[in-house]
Amino acid sequence: MTPRWKQTSQGDGLISAGLFLAGFVALWATEASVGFVRDESVYFAAAQSYAAWLQQLFRDPGMALTDAAIVRAFDFNHEHPALMKLLFGISHHIFHQTLGWLRPATALRLPAFAAAALIPPLLYRFGTALYGRIAGLFAGISFLLVPRQFFNAHLACFDVPIATFWLLTVYLFWKAQRSPRFWIWCGISFGLALSTKHNGWFLPLVLTPLALWRGWAATRADPSERTSLWLLVVAWAGTGILFVLWWVATSGRALYSWTLLSPATALLLTLLGGTTWLLFRLRRNSLEAFRALAPLAAMGLVGPLMFYLLWPYLWHHPIERAAWYFDFHATHVHYAWFYLGRLLRQPPFPLEYVLVKTALTVPLAILLPMALGLFCAIWFGISEDSRARWDQMLIAANALAPIAIISHPGVPHFGGVKHWLPSMCFLGLLAGWSVSRASSSLAALLPERRSWGKRWLSPTLLFVALLSSPLIALVRVHPYGTSFYSEPAGGIPGAATIGMQRQFWSNNVTGVLPWINAHAPVNARLWLHEVTGLAFQQYQLNGMLRTDIRSAGGPKDAQLAAYQYHQEFREQEFEIWQEFGTQTPATGLYLDETPQVIVYQRR
Amino acid sequence: MELAVLILAAVGALLFQLTLPGKLVDEQAYRALADTLGREAKPGDVLLLFPWWTERARLFVPPSLPVVGYLGSDTDPLRSFARIWLLAQPRLPKANLSDFLSRFGVDRASLSSPRQFGNLQLSLYQNALFRPQFFDAANSYAAASVYLQLPDGSRRPCPFEGTTHRCPGPPELHVAAEWHELRYRPVRCLWMHPPGGATRLVAEFSDFPFRSWVRLEGGMTWDRGAFQRDSITPIYAGLEDQQGKELFRLEFPPGADEARSAQWRVPAGSPPTGTIRLWVQSTNPELRDFCVQLFSEGRAAADPR
Repeated sequence: MTPRWKQTSQGDGLISAGLFLAGFVALWATEASVGFVRDESVYFAAAQSYAAWLQQLFRDPGMALTDAAIVRAFDFNHEHPALMKLLFGISHHIFHQTLGWLRPATALRLPAFAAAALIPPLLYRFGTALYGRIAGLFAGISFLLVPRQFFNAHLACFDVPIATFWLLTVYLFWKAQRSPRFWIWCGISFGLALSTKHNGWFLPLVLTPLALWRGWAATRADPSERTSLWLLVVAWAGTGILFVLWWVATSGRALYSWTLLSPATALLLTLLGGTTWLLFRLRRNSLEAFRALAPLAAMGLVGPLMFYLLWPYLWHHPIERAAWYFDFHATHVHYAWFYLGRLLRQPPFPLEYVLVKTALTVPLAILLPMALGLFCAIWFGISEDSRARWDQMLIAANALAPIAIISHPGVPHFGGVKHWLPSMCFLGLLAGWSVSRASSSLAALLPERRSWGKRWLSPTLLFVALLSSPLIALVRVHPYGTSFYSEPAGGIPGAATIGMQRQFWSNNVTGVLPWINAHAPVNARLWLHEVTGLAFQQYQLNGMLRTDIRSAGGPKDAQLAAYQYHQEFREQEFEIWQEFGTQTPATGLYLDETPQVIVYQRR
Repeated sequence: MELAVLILAAVGALLFQLTLPGKLVDEQAYRALADTLGREAKPGDVLLLFPWWTERARLFVPPSLPVVGYLGSDTDPLRSFARIWLLAQPRLPKANLSDFLSRFGVDRASLSSPRQFGNLQLSLYQNALFRPQFFDAANSYAAASVYLQLPDGSRRPCPFEGTTHRCPGPPELHVAAEWHELRYRPVRCLWMHPPGGATRLVAEFSDFPFRSWVRLEGGMTWDRGAFQRDSITPIYAGLEDQQGKELFRLEFPPGADEARSAQWRVPAGSPPTGTIRLWVQSTNPELRDFCVQLFSEGRAAADPR
């Protein structure tokens, strides 16, 4: 009998391709109106700097490979690895600079569309294999119908790409349990995740317990197999403990003082050799145990190697620059954030924040099946004793882990839902599972006339019923995705009343640019509150803002000011009142009555 | 069961999305409202927004009519305004007008039945908390004598330069009427940044009219009140009479970001006018961006006799 994971057909391939194409085209077709978020404007500039270095690499590799040349190109925005920015830059070079086919921003964003468009087919494949085609299809379609996810998928940023690579790594980890060679692909995918955003470093924390659980179960019957497993665990855990002790003993300076010829390097090399030998031994004794642990080994070996190779900034000084990177994210600043009527400025943040924010920003018709699916996965994961139990726990763990990480009261809480997007992929799978069960129930209620009708009518009815409201909401809110709130919040106006963050990242300014272009005096000085100087330039470069308009540093030297409504920035609006001598706006962007961007003109 | 729950959710969500646009306000309704307010609003009126954030009205309302809507404005006594126009959007999701009115209606008497402009609802109220205003420092500061008062009692004048009294020292050391945020509330107040040490920044008002109440209200602007670290010191604001007798003082410790107010009931038999000194002081002026309002007020209908 063909195992369920192999039960794919040509139709699945076509559906997957269709989902990818539909996602890619939908993102491209709706991209022009999406503003340049603060971070994106920085990544745009970094991408072009990195692409210029690539050109130098082809022209003069000797010079390009020096640390000075690398630092010149990659020092800018070294808070994040280079992979996605390199892709953005290459795309910009080809599609804008060389071919002239696309405006600069679209060319820069193209790789982000591709990364985002991979999620629906991945969800379809994974969901189909786990829960059947209806589940896979619902998961695949619904992902981009969540307005905040659709919005983030447009951006040349890393939040959606890391969700893609997180999902891909888990999918390959799951495949590796059943199929040869996928353990290597799992390691490569993990390397891509690490090279995309720091969230990737948390993947082993989620997958290691599951791999050990599976390996433990697989070696239950044979003591020699269990010994091999034990040796592997002891080798890894022992090395890990030694490194922690070293780190503690040097008060955290261990990484900075690491040299190539040192006991630490020797220890690491011993671990590599030992792991390889033990894996071979395990493979001889128990293929299932090997398949459980080999993906982890690949992640441990290939992942960091790719992280290093794909980030030229690390090439000459890997240890101290990587250490700076980790330190930057471990001690990230806290930005003010409005939540249920109070401004969160400093930790400890409310433990329930991530759950509440998710509940208020995912459309109800998608949120509810997610919750039902998660409940069932945990229930079956606890109560069933079968192979499916492990699958359920894998999905549930990945649905919850990114949420749990951000829920820690000490972790920065700004940024809406973008920091736990990997969770949303797995919650989408669980939603699909719930819809699939409901579809079977509906089919049983339908008259037994035609089998195709029973087979397709019930999911079609259910899909239309569940996905209509998210689609309407998406169309109404686009391109202002960071402002979206779902039905439990009472939509955007309800969220304003209960005191939720109205928007962030400054991209909503696109809503008032047409008015500014039409009404600003020639050579006017314009202050776009919260919009970075780089984003201001991009609006002009991409034909969204008149080029004669000059950027003002604040209300004092501005003739026009566009204030972004943030609860923590009220003082800035009143500063405009003070400087401009008026409290009456000239125009504004009001989404469902809520003020988002308010434009004032000097009297 | 699962099917029923999902279908219920789907139908509910669809209904919400389809009906939401019908609960919003079109421009025509705002223009009709503006016409009405233009005809009927009087000096001393204010327009209060419900929900507080529905500030789109500012685009249309006659500029002569002050508009109040900020996080917390539901409980603002609006003492400076005799009549309150309440502009409500009761059909918006989570907008509980009856709950709001149960609190707002205390000390406010309805002067008209609500009028509808599309989904806008306009009502007029008499404000029993209104106190006739005889002095507002933000309007009278040009005539004030402003100086730094050193610990030894000597004074360093802060000359008036058209709109601002500029003191010797850094640029923030000035006194002027400015718009600032006092915990989300827009306030036109007297900017008085403390000079540091034991030195006081003083604004002295002669011919101050003493009526029923002298009220002082102030606070840290923007986010300055939220900062807490050892180096940040409390800020004090006080009021003295001509003889240097302290009438009252307010303390703003680090971490207290709400505005604070104090009022002094003018004793019977007090002279109708006199000199009053408003001062601020903080040992460390770091992050002590301070703004203050000083009023002389008559008695409100709701005030105890």
